[in-house]
Amino acid sequence: MRRKNIVHLVLILGLLSVFNLTYAQDTSEVSEKGKEVYEESCAHCHGIEGQGDGSAAENLLPRPRDFTRGLYKIRSTESGQLPTDQDLFDIITIGMPGSSMPGWETSLSANDRWEVVSYIKTFYEGFIESETPPRQISLEGKIPYSEESVEIGKILYTQFACFECHGNLGRGDGTSAPTLQDEWGFKSWPANLTQSWNYRGGNNIDDIYKRFIGGIAGSAMPMFEDPAFGLTIEQSKRYNELDSKVEMTESEEEEYNQLDEKMSNAYEILDLMADGDATEEQKQIYDTAMKAFNVKSWHLANYVKSLSPEKRPEPAIGKNVLRSQYIASELPEMADTAWETLESSYFPLVGQIIVEPRQFNPTIDSVNVKSFYNDTEVVFLFTWDDRTHNTEVEEDEDIGTTFEDAIAIQFPVKVPKGPTDEKPYFLWGGRKAVYLWQWKASDADKVMELTAKGINNAGAQEVQGDIQAKSEYTDGQYKLWVKRALKTDDKKDLQLESGVFVPIAFSAWDGANGDVDTKRVISSWYSFVLEPVPSSRRFIYPPLVALLSFGLLVGLRQFVRQRNT
Amino acid sequence: MKRVSLFTICFVIFIISWVFLEFVMGGVISKPIPSSVISMYMALILIAILVHVSVEDTRFREFLRPIHETLVDENRHVRRIVLAVLIPLLMLGYTYSNLAQKANPPGDPRDAHPSPPLELTYKDEVIGSMQTVENPHRHYEKDDPEKFKSHVENGRRVYYQNCFYCHGDHLDGQGHFADALNPLPANFQDPGIIPNFQESFFFWRISKGGPGLPASGTPWNSAMPIWEDHLTKEEIWDVILFLSDYTGYPYRTFGEGH
Repeated sequence: MRRKNIVHLVLILGLLSVFNLTYAQDTSEVSEKGKEVYEESCAHCHGIEGQGDGSAAENLLPRPRDFTRGLYKIRSTESGQLPTDQDLFDIITIGMPGSSMPGWETSLSANDRWEVVSYIKTFYEGFIESETPPRQISLEGKIPYSEESVEIGKILYTQFACFECHGNLGRGDGTSAPTLQDEWGFKSWPANLTQSWNYRGGNNIDDIYKRFIGGIAGSAMPMFEDPAFGLTIEQSKRYNELDSKVEMTESEEEEYNQLDEKMSNAYEILDLMADGDATEEQKQIYDTAMKAFNVKSWHLANYVKSLSPEKRPEPAIGKNVLRSQYIASELPEMADTAWETLESSYFPLVGQIIVEPRQFNPTIDSVNVKSFYNDTEVVFLFTWDDRTHNTEVEEDEDIGTTFEDAIAIQFPVKVPKGPTDEKPYFLWGGRKAVYLWQWKASDADKVMELTAKGINNAGAQEVQGDIQAKSEYTDGQYKLWVKRALKTDDKKDLQLESGVFVPIAFSAWDGANGDVDTKRVISSWYSFVLEPVPSSRRFIYPPLVALLSFGLLVGLRQFVRQRNT
Repeated sequence: MKRVSLFTICFVIFIISWVFLEFVMGGVISKPIPSSVISMYMALILIAILVHVSVEDTRFREFLRPIHETLVDENRHVRRIVLAVLIPLLMLGYTYSNLAQKANPPGDPRDAHPSPPLELTYKDEVIGSMQTVENPHRHYEKDDPEKFKSHVENGRRVYYQNCFYCHGDHLDGQGHFADALNPLPANFQDPGIIPNFQESFFFWRISKGGPGLPASGTPWNSAMPIWEDHLTKEEIWDVILFLSDYTGYPYRTFGEGH
């Protein structure tokens, strides 16, 4: 038994040394296997020469990484440093959420992924030239997630001017959002921080922290944009306090100047450090300033974490299907708090790539829907994030042409009678017609009724029914409120009935992303139901059944007893 | 030690069978089993138990003894009262939860594979019979491997410029647009897809897309575009070569039985 164990151990050690040998070779030589895997699985986007110019690249945004520049977005290393091998391996394994880079965990073996890591490193000389390993970001001094930390982070979010790109509530709707470009001159949208499932480098707090410290190389995300670099959070708070005072006492003025000097000192040392000319004393000041910066970054990371649900919501199918709730009274207005009592149903949207012109790089992630109905009417509240508010066609020298934002909600004209009764073609109908509500940002409080038999075969109904609509755009989010009668006289309209599942689908346009006509985001068919009022039978039958079963038991006992005697 | 009664054994077997179907089969091993199927299995198990206990008179009496006792025995007073309360309460709860249950959305039954038309066309041009048309670039595989390779490469380009959004980088149907679609895009890595169809079938599905599906066997709800609007005949044949080259699965060839 023991001898067998020793044999095993020797075998394992032997195998390990073989692996070590192969890895050691890979780092110095071009890996043939890596090249083979790269050309089979990666080159169609990243290009044979690694320049990010594969045949698919043109239709993708963000563009596939250009490996020849050594600029890597997602790293565990400090700013200006190359990524570690593990960083590259992790990106290949997990992918980049929200982009077209998938995770390769299930489709490439770990060994193949390591081979690809060593191969893509050959595209950039810096990897070969650098003798010291890249400096990794230390996670020391991590501040655990708490309400207090989130509160501090929220203040820092304003101080650091994060809102300029990411918007007040983090929906990526800052004023500079439309103009941002990446290092290669391609459009680059700031992240919508309320959709953590689209964070390219992962959404745990450590990941977010690393983005602050290491930056996102090649993107418009800045580093070290600390307006109070060198000051602790308390000091910068005090500084702002003093700064806003109309008149300062002598001692206050002195304090203010001291803080001011401390800041400019720290910034000067930052330059000296970069050139490597700092004295020991200056290095100490730098270290203290960096520590304060790290503390701020942890708070900020905690705040960003607080902005989004952990996971992408489940789509509105199965138990999450959209159920319009019955109320006996008047239906709620847009601002009514009654809406908060309902759970949203989540409808993911994707680019329309069926009919030209097509949308390969959608910016609208999804639409959330809530609904109420009463005996005569139904009301919907549609909510979707859009980074920019576009109400008309505009020409801009820097941005190009932008169009009007819009949304369309699609129903069949006739509700399918059963599961085998065919729905109209999901893309605005075909053989069978669809009935649409179309809303456009230029006419914010109006919904038009359309009938369509194809995406290029739609028209406004001649008789526009009585549909009430209201909308608002705040902090990167549209809200659209639509109310209609359950039944209408128009044969081209959808007629609604409680308890019947009705197909529903969406189209949405982000004008700033070039969406117009067929270029848009879409969903396939989902369904919704006017949830029937629970019948009063549920209070009558169960007690009857209970009584009956009790009676049966008693009867059975009597029967058995009689038989015994 | 007291012997466990036959009734208790049967009862425990019944409960274990249910737990196994509901949670082990329908959770650990596989996907949840529809409740109607579980009811059917449970009915069979109940019949099996009843048949087993009623084969012999003595066994049947042994089986009924605890029930009998519970109903009339003077010493079983407490048990009797507990059951007389519990059983009606369970019935009450069961009926209530059934009545209060929300309606479920209708399922989407559809044929596994649509039946193709007899004639293969590209736009309005007739290519030939669905049964006999071959991929015009397939013969290069033997005749001119270099040329074959260039066709596969062209197919790769077509795939990553058009198809991978839904069908995925790895042809596994998990592209970054896939999660908004129902039914999900075809998974070419599934061994049941490519080997089951001729290349002409793939040409038909690609060129005519969802709208080209037959009127029978609906609803399809396919989001597959009509690719003959965007791709040339050659591009479609090449992407068909690529699918099989990348996954390593050969298409079904002619002459094989169904």
